[in-house]
Amino acid sequence: MKPPPFAYLAAGSLDEAISALAAGDGEARLLAGGQSLMPMLNFRLLQPGLLISLNRIPGLGGITENGGGLRIGALTRHAELERSPLVARHFPVLGAAMEHVAHLAIRNRGTIGGSLCHADPAAELPMLMCLLDAGITAQGPAGERTLAAAEFFLGALTTALAEDEIVTAIELPALAEGCGWGFEEMARRSGDFALAGAAAIISLTGDRVSEARLAVMGAHPTPLRVAAAEALLRDQTIDEDTVRAAAEAAAAAVEPDNDLHASADYRRHLIGVLTARVLRAALRRAQGETP
Amino acid sequence: MEIEVRPGLIGARVQRLEDPRLLTGHGTYVDDLQLPGTLHLAFRRSDHGHARIIAIDTEEAAAMPGVAAVVTAADIADGVKPYRATSRMPDYHPTTLPVLAADKVRYVGEPVVAVLAENRYLAEDAAEQVAIDYDPLPTVIDPEAAAQPGAPVLHEEIGSNVILSRSFSRGDVEAALAGAPVRVAGRFRMHRKTPAAMENRAYLADYDQGRRALTLYSSTQVPGIVRDSLAEILDIPGNRLRVIAPDVGGGFGGKTPLYGEEVLVCHLARKLGRPVKWCADRLEDLTTTSQAFDEIVEAELACDGDGTILGLRAEVIGDIGAYSIYPYTAALEPVQVISFLPGPYRVPSYHGAVKGVATSKALTGAYRGVGRPISTFAMERLVDMAARELSLDPLEMRRRNMVRAEEFPYKTPVGLVWDRAGFMECLDGAAAAADYDGLRAEQARARADGRWFGIGLASYAELTGLGSRISAAPGMPVNTGTETASIRIDATGAVTAAFGIASHGQGLETTLAQVVAEELGVRVEDVEVVHGDSDAVAHSTGTYASRSTILAGGAATLSARALRQQVVEAAAHLLEAAQADIEVADGAIRVAGTDRAMSFPELAKAVFVEMGRLPRELREQVDLQVTKTYDPYFGTTAPATHLAVVEIDPETYRVAIRRYVVAEDCGRIINPMIADGQVHGGVAQGIGAALYEEVVYDDEGQILTASLVDYLVPTAAEIPEMEVLHLEIETEANIGGFRGLGEGGTIGAPAALANAVTDALAPLGIDIDELPVTPDRLFRLIREANKDEN
Amino acid sequence: MSGGHVVRLRVNGVDHEAEVEPRLLLVDFLRVQLGLTGTHVGCEHGVCGACTVILNGDSVRSCLCLAVEADGGAVETVEGLGRVDDLDPLQEAFREHHALQCGFCTPGMLMTGIDLLRKQPLASDGEIRAGLSGNLCRCTGYQHIVRAIRASVEARDGD
Repeated sequence: MKPPPFAYLAAGSLDEAISALAAGDGEARLLAGGQSLMPMLNFRLLQPGLLISLNRIPGLGGITENGGGLRIGALTRHAELERSPLVARHFPVLGAAMEHVAHLAIRNRGTIGGSLCHADPAAELPMLMCLLDAGITAQGPAGERTLAAAEFFLGALTTALAEDEIVTAIELPALAEGCGWGFEEMARRSGDFALAGAAAIISLTGDRVSEARLAVMGAHPTPLRVAAAEALLRDQTIDEDTVRAAAEAAAAAVEPDNDLHASADYRRHLIGVLTARVLRAALRRAQGETP
Repeated sequence: MEIEVRPGLIGARVQRLEDPRLLTGHGTYVDDLQLPGTLHLAFRRSDHGHARIIAIDTEEAAAMPGVAAVVTAADIADGVKPYRATSRMPDYHPTTLPVLAADKVRYVGEPVVAVLAENRYLAEDAAEQVAIDYDPLPTVIDPEAAAQPGAPVLHEEIGSNVILSRSFSRGDVEAALAGAPVRVAGRFRMHRKTPAAMENRAYLADYDQGRRALTLYSSTQVPGIVRDSLAEILDIPGNRLRVIAPDVGGGFGGKTPLYGEEVLVCHLARKLGRPVKWCADRLEDLTTTSQAFDEIVEAELACDGDGTILGLRAEVIGDIGAYSIYPYTAALEPVQVISFLPGPYRVPSYHGAVKGVATSKALTGAYRGVGRPISTFAMERLVDMAARELSLDPLEMRRRNMVRAEEFPYKTPVGLVWDRAGFMECLDGAAAAADYDGLRAEQARARADGRWFGIGLASYAELTGLGSRISAAPGMPVNTGTETASIRIDATGAVTAAFGIASHGQGLETTLAQVVAEELGVRVEDVEVVHGDSDAVAHSTGTYASRSTILAGGAATLSARALRQQVVEAAAHLLEAAQADIEVADGAIRVAGTDRAMSFPELAKAVFVEMGRLPRELREQVDLQVTKTYDPYFGTTAPATHLAVVEIDPETYRVAIRRYVVAEDCGRIINPMIADGQVHGGVAQGIGAALYEEVVYDDEGQILTASLVDYLVPTAAEIPEMEVLHLEIETEANIGGFRGLGEGGTIGAPAALANAVTDALAPLGIDIDELPVTPDRLFRLIREANKDEN
Repeated sequence: MSGGHVVRLRVNGVDHEAEVEPRLLLVDFLRVQLGLTGTHVGCEHGVCGACTVILNGDSVRSCLCLAVEADGGAVETVEGLGRVDDLDPLQEAFREHHALQCGFCTPGMLMTGIDLLRKQPLASDGEIRAGLSGNLCRCTGYQHIVRAIRASVEARDGD
């Protein structure tokens, strides 16, 4: 389990990385935290001609306030998201979810950009980006563009990114004041990829839901915003019946596969269970309580 | 429970002597040995579950940079004799074990071509370039189908995949079952596990051309067995063949067989005259290290109206994998299942039959508990099922059937004998420690709240520290029933105790030093324990089967006592005192009630250097070195009861272990800290077996659990705090009064958890008969139960 | 193995420089090039944690890090803690509480423990267990490891 030979470039600037990627003609791979790429190299599942390291490019990391939201550099590590006071203040769901991502040493190294580009359907960050309506900014030879998270994930391990583009930053627009959140996942062991997961944001105006967002993961080729469930909640007063109806809508929306760790039916069942839980938690937080 | 605090070293919480080096990164595992000029081995392994090899093209690989040799079966035929695991057992068919596959491959991962290169990176580069042309053959994956006539056969010369058959009977079980008022039956399936020691297997062979002598550094549990086997296979006498197991990173049975890679590094080092190293990577470990716990048990238990067991009948199929493992044979685990199925109970009539069936999978062999985790799972489930039929509490059901103190020695239906051990004491001890009645009350309240709360008991007994009368595996032509200790005081007065065992985590450097120190009268830190080296004593095997404390501890006791007698004789002369007045303690030799004394260095000098201080006839008796071999002849019984409390999330079906209590009788404890650690580790592996771990092959024989992402070894977050109660019931079954405790934790935990999960699901009427009981399996069981309900 | 990339690393306070192939894993650089064999290789896919070292202040898997990626950095390995006759407090706690058996996972456990003790409150055993969950141990059942870390937390916090 030793990696195959490859050439290596520690890019000093984004431009250098972009040109090298273009020159690599499909044989080059980008290396950020490496926490998904390195195991694949060690198993020799990939044989890139060139590895372009992004880790020495100045300014590619860091979390800054941007309007009421945040701009997160692509090279920001999971551990930084977990510890960041800015993330805790603006997007507590993001910080809280990080403890479910693998383990300490992986979070110390793994980056948000890497996780989004790897696009594992059971990974937390892609789902959270969908939940938070993130804009994913990428640069390529043709310039910069920003993709909505909902359009970014095309399938398992597949994104809308062009072969010559590099994700540089994530823009998270501000959430409504006083909104509540919920996050739940079910994994076999602590830190394993989730069998299924869900996250929700709820804003209330009085008793009524002014905004409801629900995203699920692990039971579909991509992370999924469940529009049907959100529609059931919007403008409603949430009670246990609405929660159940939304959970059923979420379970109906996913197209899970059977695999080694869980059957499709069980994953679908979990989506329902976890959806109900995150909705209850988000509602309680929106009501100013601690779930 | 009061445990007597003894003043001696045996029973003391002595800190481990091996720890400082292991804590500072100065341990020496095989891969840490870096000999100049070493060639590194990588394999091209079979990617077919069953296929004929048509052609192998190594030309491109051989031309790759840094490659020294590319080797196939044809290339090694001259220097490696074929070998196979033989047995005196009837109805057993050995299979020849190829070091490299020649004509056929029989499992994914089987080595076919070996590449030697300057480093592992280059060896892997070249191995990728080897081209093997296969003609795929039908695989045999399901052991029951594989046992049927007409199934594709893996070993044509045997003509069937049924490699072994064995049965035991006592009494008329058919009559007992026919007339019984209560009969419960089940089909119990434990899915395959792998030991997953944290150190992968690793071998380094170094050939001294001048001496024509070979040294193998191996991560083996059994350097003695490996030495004796290699001597035959490679035709090298034992005085020019040394097998050293340096620090070894866990074994759990997976490092007890002789592996083809071990043979190959030796052969190639001798042939090429350079050190040859192979360290398995995790992929190789998960696909080729011996696996285990793969049995299907169909069993029926009959009871009287008051719960008294009348009879037990079982048919067992063992999935042994592609070959019969060397030297233990494929009978090791399957036969153990039917040997121990009756458990710690009075079972007046019994019939147990087993078939071992070859399949297109990795070999099975020893794994912590060997067979008994499966037999205990099946029997303890049946006991609970019978209790439920009778509306008896599971605790009471066990009390009514467990062998009582006055019944020892008790001969089991298969002819094993339980010596006096704390069967009932463990059952009562676990119940008391857990506050069993309180737990049942808590359960009633939890159930009233709709919570799924379960309590599971599991009792078992095992036979540890087997002597020469009982083979570790049926009919195996290797003596595992004796151990030798060679203790000497050298000319500087230092004490060295050499053993045939091979400690790889058990702390034997410390516990054996405690035994030697106490018996000889020195301090623990004065004793250097030599182990894991085939040169240490003339005959040895190693460490496995919960044997080392009993056997090596016994040999240490005999040798140290004889050596102390020499010390006393010499000191009596030198100090001009009667032997009876000589005291040896803490490394000092004194004449009782006087200030006359001498140290070990002074004594050694008088014996070895200052000729004339001892009379010639005394010097002939006193050479300050003693070698004794200990044979406990039979085994020593070690019983335990485990109690698990679980709560299941009624929506996600996650199983949380709320409490875990073990009461076990390990006889006289040498080091309570180490005893705790052995139980903790065993239970953690049992929890893995019950809830997480499963080796999965698909229908083509592809292994789907070839990474630690997919083979789920529990982490610190899955293992609960455990409460361990050691009952030190005296035994005369061995000289030290010890009982083996290396495996027990793994034996009891799967059954206790299966019973606890079943108990939690009692409102739904679900019986757990398949392990691991994963959330997905629970989902399906619960869905079926709800369907039935509707 | 050569390949034109020069790596400069400060390991346990000592500067090293070597030319390496880009694909060389940091763990192999430490073990083979520098002879620091205390860091162990257990899975090479980032699950077992045996190869955990501290790189620039954070615990990382040295099997998932190329040596060239660590260039210019500072690495702490188990060899940089205490010595055989002068254990550091966490090593001492591991010994006192019998937190190791075969010792193979131990260096990785220690380095993870060091990172946790530096950064996290570890107020409950649950937090300790979660923190250690990236390091597999097959021998101890973790109980004594948790106890050793707990004792170290108490010593750190002056309880």
